[in-house]
Amino acid sequence: MSHRISDLSSFNAAHAAGLRKLMPGVPRIAIGMGTCGMGNGAEAVYHAFADHIHNLGLGFHLTRTGCFGFCAEEPLVNVLLPGQPLVVLRRIQASDVPALLDHLAAGRIPAELALCKIEEWDHITATIKYAAGQPEIPHWYDVPFFTGQKKIVLRNCGIISPIEIEEYIAVGGYQALYKVLIDSSPEAVIEQLKAAKLRGRGGAGYQTGLKWEMLRKAQAERKFLISNADEGDPGAYMNRNEIEGDPHSMLEGMIIAGYVTGSTEGILYVRAEYPLAVHRLQHAMDQARDYGLLGKNILGRGFNFDISLVEGAGAFVCGEETALIRSLEGRAGRPTPRPPYPAEKGLWGYPTNINNVETWYNVAPIVVKGAAWFTETGSPKSPGTKVFSLVGKVQNTGLVEMPLGTPLKTFVYDIGGGATHGKAVKAVQTGGPSGGTIPQEMFDTPVDYETLAQLGSIMGSGGMVVMDEDNCMVDVARYFVEFTHSESCGKCTPCRAGLDQALRILNRFTHGVATDGDLDTLDELSRMIRDMSLCGLGQSAPNPVLTSMRHFRREFEDHVRAHRCRAGVCEDLALSPCENSCPLHMNIPRFLQLLKEDRLEEAFLSVVLDNPLPASTGRVCQHPCDNRCRRSAIDDAVNMREVHRFIADSIYGTPRYEPLIEQVLARKLPPTGCKIAIVGAGPAGLSCAYYCALLGHDVTVYENNAEAGGMLRYALPNYRLPIEVIEHELELIRRLGVSFIFNTTVGRDISLNELDAAHDAVFLSIGTWKESWVYLAGTELRGVLHALPFLEAVNKDETTQLGRKVAVIGGGNAAIDSARTALRLGADVTIVYRRERKDMPAIREETEAAEAEGARIVFLAAPHRIVDDGSGGIQAIECVKTTLGEFDRSGRRRPVPTDEILRIACDTVILAVGETVDLDFVKASGLRLKEGGTMLEVDRHTLLTSRPNFYAGGDLITGASNVSNAMGWGKKAARTIDQALMDEFRWPRIWPEFKHSMTVPAHPSTARRHHNRELDPAKRAATFAETTFPLAPVEAMEETCRCLRCDIRADH
Amino acid sequence: MKNQPKARLATAWLDGCSGCHMSLLDVDELLLTLADRVTIVFGPLVDAQHFPENVDVAIVEGAVSSQDDLRLAQTIRENSKFVIALGDCAVTSNVPSMRNSIAPTRLLERIYISGATAQPGVPTQNVPALLRAAIPLHEAIKVDLHVPGCPPSAAAIAHVLTELLEGRKPDVASAAKFG
Amino acid sequence: MPNRISIRIDGELVQAERGQTIFEAAQSNNKFIPGLCQFKGLSTVGACRLCVVEVQGVNRLLPSCTTPAQDGMAVITKSARLNDYRRQSLELLFAEKNHVCAVCVSNNHCELQAYAQRLGVTNVRYAYRYPKLHVDMSHPRFVIDHNRCVLCTRCVRVCNEVEGAYVWGVAGRGIGSRIACEMDRAWGNSASCTNCGKCVQVCPTGALAEKGFAAEEMVKRQDLVERLATIRGTMNPGGPR
Repeated sequence: MSHRISDLSSFNAAHAAGLRKLMPGVPRIAIGMGTCGMGNGAEAVYHAFADHIHNLGLGFHLTRTGCFGFCAEEPLVNVLLPGQPLVVLRRIQASDVPALLDHLAAGRIPAELALCKIEEWDHITATIKYAAGQPEIPHWYDVPFFTGQKKIVLRNCGIISPIEIEEYIAVGGYQALYKVLIDSSPEAVIEQLKAAKLRGRGGAGYQTGLKWEMLRKAQAERKFLISNADEGDPGAYMNRNEIEGDPHSMLEGMIIAGYVTGSTEGILYVRAEYPLAVHRLQHAMDQARDYGLLGKNILGRGFNFDISLVEGAGAFVCGEETALIRSLEGRAGRPTPRPPYPAEKGLWGYPTNINNVETWYNVAPIVVKGAAWFTETGSPKSPGTKVFSLVGKVQNTGLVEMPLGTPLKTFVYDIGGGATHGKAVKAVQTGGPSGGTIPQEMFDTPVDYETLAQLGSIMGSGGMVVMDEDNCMVDVARYFVEFTHSESCGKCTPCRAGLDQALRILNRFTHGVATDGDLDTLDELSRMIRDMSLCGLGQSAPNPVLTSMRHFRREFEDHVRAHRCRAGVCEDLALSPCENSCPLHMNIPRFLQLLKEDRLEEAFLSVVLDNPLPASTGRVCQHPCDNRCRRSAIDDAVNMREVHRFIADSIYGTPRYEPLIEQVLARKLPPTGCKIAIVGAGPAGLSCAYYCALLGHDVTVYENNAEAGGMLRYALPNYRLPIEVIEHELELIRRLGVSFIFNTTVGRDISLNELDAAHDAVFLSIGTWKESWVYLAGTELRGVLHALPFLEAVNKDETTQLGRKVAVIGGGNAAIDSARTALRLGADVTIVYRRERKDMPAIREETEAAEAEGARIVFLAAPHRIVDDGSGGIQAIECVKTTLGEFDRSGRRRPVPTDEILRIACDTVILAVGETVDLDFVKASGLRLKEGGTMLEVDRHTLLTSRPNFYAGGDLITGASNVSNAMGWGKKAARTIDQALMDEFRWPRIWPEFKHSMTVPAHPSTARRHHNRELDPAKRAATFAETTFPLAPVEAMEETCRCLRCDIRADH
Repeated sequence: MKNQPKARLATAWLDGCSGCHMSLLDVDELLLTLADRVTIVFGPLVDAQHFPENVDVAIVEGAVSSQDDLRLAQTIRENSKFVIALGDCAVTSNVPSMRNSIAPTRLLERIYISGATAQPGVPTQNVPALLRAAIPLHEAIKVDLHVPGCPPSAAAIAHVLTELLEGRKPDVASAAKFG
Repeated sequence: MPNRISIRIDGELVQAERGQTIFEAAQSNNKFIPGLCQFKGLSTVGACRLCVVEVQGVNRLLPSCTTPAQDGMAVITKSARLNDYRRQSLELLFAEKNHVCAVCVSNNHCELQAYAQRLGVTNVRYAYRYPKLHVDMSHPRFVIDHNRCVLCTRCVRVCNEVEGAYVWGVAGRGIGSRIACEMDRAWGNSASCTNCGKCVQVCPTGALAEKGFAAEEMVKRQDLVERLATIRGTMNPGGPR
């Protein structure tokens, strides 16, 4: 039977037939079967449905659709029960099918499986109304991933069946073609496209109307239209999904173009790696010919146009139009210079127009709805929408269609849901290997052709790869250059030989052997490749390098000067991921292995030479190593912090201690005669003093308190870190010969000039003891305390003004320490924090412990005023409830005040909202401050301040941080000071050679992570004695057996 | 001028044919001026055994091919204010680089064992180990001036030395020939 | 339409013929623009990029060998940036293959070397790659030494466009590109080579040479091929590519 459409009535008949398929009057089940869905098991789901429907004799209509875009939730299944809205179910597996069919047969839709519902769908060329209902299922546009999306290109994707031409006709398909042929005014269509300012969606953004006009005007016996479906960028797959989900929209756009430009031949150039897209297109073309929409005498209007399909062999360069044409001609895919442009001399020398897949999808909507409708969306210069593939380090990945000009942050945070695993998003790479990286500070950037180009990136075909702190930007640049290097056709020198050299230089960076000169060479080479290359591939290939070097120059410099890759990606620059993440860069695999070999003494020596305060950090470190441990890919990270606490605790206070201390003292290098002053006996100062002493220098520490330890002694509560532990560790430092001068404040009791005169180098490491100023009414009232003085007073056994009902303001470690201390003093405690739980900077275990001990935490509340009790005391604190607003620079949602006021009755308020460094003496000394004036400026690599021989580290240069970070700075300072004084790199001499197994364990222990034991909360809350206990020996041993030994490389 | 202290000049012969040194000796009457103005403190032309300190100008011929070459190049850099790569071997690694696509062990075996006419065996005593590749001097140390040519003409060398003695920067590009 | 047009080259007003490329216009007015892949009488490919120039009002560099000269155009053929870029291009070529000039048959008669000299190259800032490349000696009269090839494809074009034998092509891609004889045969086994030697004469370096010459002895007779190419009427800027 012929389906040929030759007049309005046959067109309407096809339309009606399509509607019957789309809304069949029986339950309709459509499986999302794009390549992405099938990769997630959609095929098995389809067959499960088919079998069960058949076996149960259910008269359901089972079909398939393309992808609805939300890749993270695949496989998606659309369910339409008569009289109900269309419901999209998510993550359906074959095993779910029998139960699901029972529900559907009974007319129920299980809401827990639903992603969203659709009551009305705008296909642009038509609107389909489903019934209302299912109040418990959210509307599709209320799902954050879809909110703000505008589906013009993807109007049919995931809704209609791509293999049913009648369904396409039912939603307004081929209406535009019909209209164009009836109106028979090609110029009008071109004018419409020009007025719509439709720009090519392949990346360059040239106006489609102008291109069509050129082809229309060209005089030639043959003219060609080509659809470029050679989508080859890593991370981009929008064209594939467009074709797989809705092939007819592209065909219709091309047929219209054929009529308008006077061409009779169209060619689809589809990469061979897209077999499903090829299959769907071939099927769609067969159907279109069958229905008289393609081939001879289209729609009976005497217009002939046919399309053929060519599979590209997959060279990236064939996305470049001249190379694509050569490839079609059967030659090697190498570009040729323009002019002549394809519009004059293209395929076989005839005028040719090439458009990207997505451009064609915009044609029918513009013809049907008009240019004015189209320009309502998007930005003035770039109207309409663009489909992006949002991938990488975001929670929600998938295809998103957004109006052009939408700011980048909307993609990353609102649609993408922000970073995964609580990490911070660092950058977005747009345009794939031809694009650039845009740093997080620039996420307000509207995504359109011009703005991205200004930032050195491009829109490209719409790839959008989100990077977080675990991505090394040097490695990202290297990766993309490796890609373009291997895809270069080799014709022109800059691209062929230039990219090869660029890759060599980038490899030097990632291997840690680059020099400062390489930075300049890479920069000038990249510019040369960009400006000199023949085609777009070479011209854009340096973009990832140039933008990374512009926005992330520090990372490049770190690779050269510090031999560090913060992200821990470049393996040659790190021993192992744990070592790389450790602020002290402890050789963690070494002490684990030594302990595993039952060599406790050597393990202790390894630990204590890497970290002078192992028992303290073993208790209070933020353990960044946990986040990096590769073991967590199997179960949980190795409990490295507790193992080194175990090692330290097993030695301190035992007879083993003395001989080991002798061994440490034996590592001391001969006296150098250099005098070093250290200001501040906190963790940073102590570490610096320890290593300077080991290196043979004469070290004096100046401290304004009466004893050493800084925050360790005065701010950390005893139940976390007992004083005896600090005393043990200080003994070693004293015995190394470090002298302490207490009760001496630099700047008051001794001047910097005096220090300078008496020493060869000075290390400044005072901590953050000054409370941040808070903007809060009532802070003058009796009962308002600041966290640090409060904790200090408790540690010194002084009396405090603590009442019975305490409110603690803040979410950091100082807030939690204050709360737990107040609990131990018998108070009733409420913590007030203005953000969400996951945004709290405090160590998670500490927060949980506080809650277990009885502290209440009120989230999303910002203190507003402290209420006076009429006699100078406190009656309550009033807080404004907040909601979460936009994402701020820290990647967290900004708390936005509401009208709701929360009143918490209390008699004491502890403010723990942050501390700053007391910079008065620094200001008086004339040392240069960083912009903003709250921190000292130092050279990042040497830690030298603006004054010769004066170094600084710790909170002074970073703002309030934590113990391990401070110690890391002190250790680093000792290294750079020694190198400057001795003009030689003597650092490695401190360590003896440790011999231990360097074999990867064939059978790492399958035991789960051991946690340390704690007293139960009720008992804990009653004592200041230590309440967490070290691992038992067998547990510590088992932890060491869980280590996978990432420090061992195949090439070692 | 007479009272000016003499400049300390060193020359060095790495992996090359000594043709550049020959060319240096070919500068005719400039040698007389040089004798007045400079002292040659190291190199094949003099007896010194160790590279001295405080050299003003070091002229290096030859590619960096062996461990010894590398060490000498580093010593030269540490003790010289101005280092000149003289000739194509020092500038591009030239003929010595022709072995670079062959692994040193295979190369030595081919020459000293399968290619030997008598006493086959790779010499290991008193000979420095070969580097993986013969490299131009600037890939080993920082070079202040490149004077290409195989060898650079005496005129080019004369120009360079005269200009340096006068405290000017020589225009190497027009005086010497690349490759 | 008059056949003569006026363009400005480096500030100087000169006459050119309509249809000439910028490169040709400059050459006919004795203005120097370097170019390794361009060869009079052969089609243009714009591959070596040495001949790029700045054109007023165009914000990117244009290859002068493929860009038609237009009346009133203002062209800059030398600037600090152009010089730097061209020098980098030459250095990339030197670092890419093994151009050991001292032992090359074309030493002192080499276009690559001459441009390096003229553009002031005194050393190569990039790491030498030292690739292992083949020297095909199988042809009775000629040699192709891939160590010295700059991939200008003059040999490919002269063989296709003038001799009509289609012996040469480019195999591989990217940094692995190389000139190949027929379907990657040894040249001596070629079925279509006419032994005319035009490829040898147009080669700018010592990559293609006649046998029997020692270092510095190979002098190419480019003028003969130039004349032949021009007589054959293949001088057609929009011609076969």
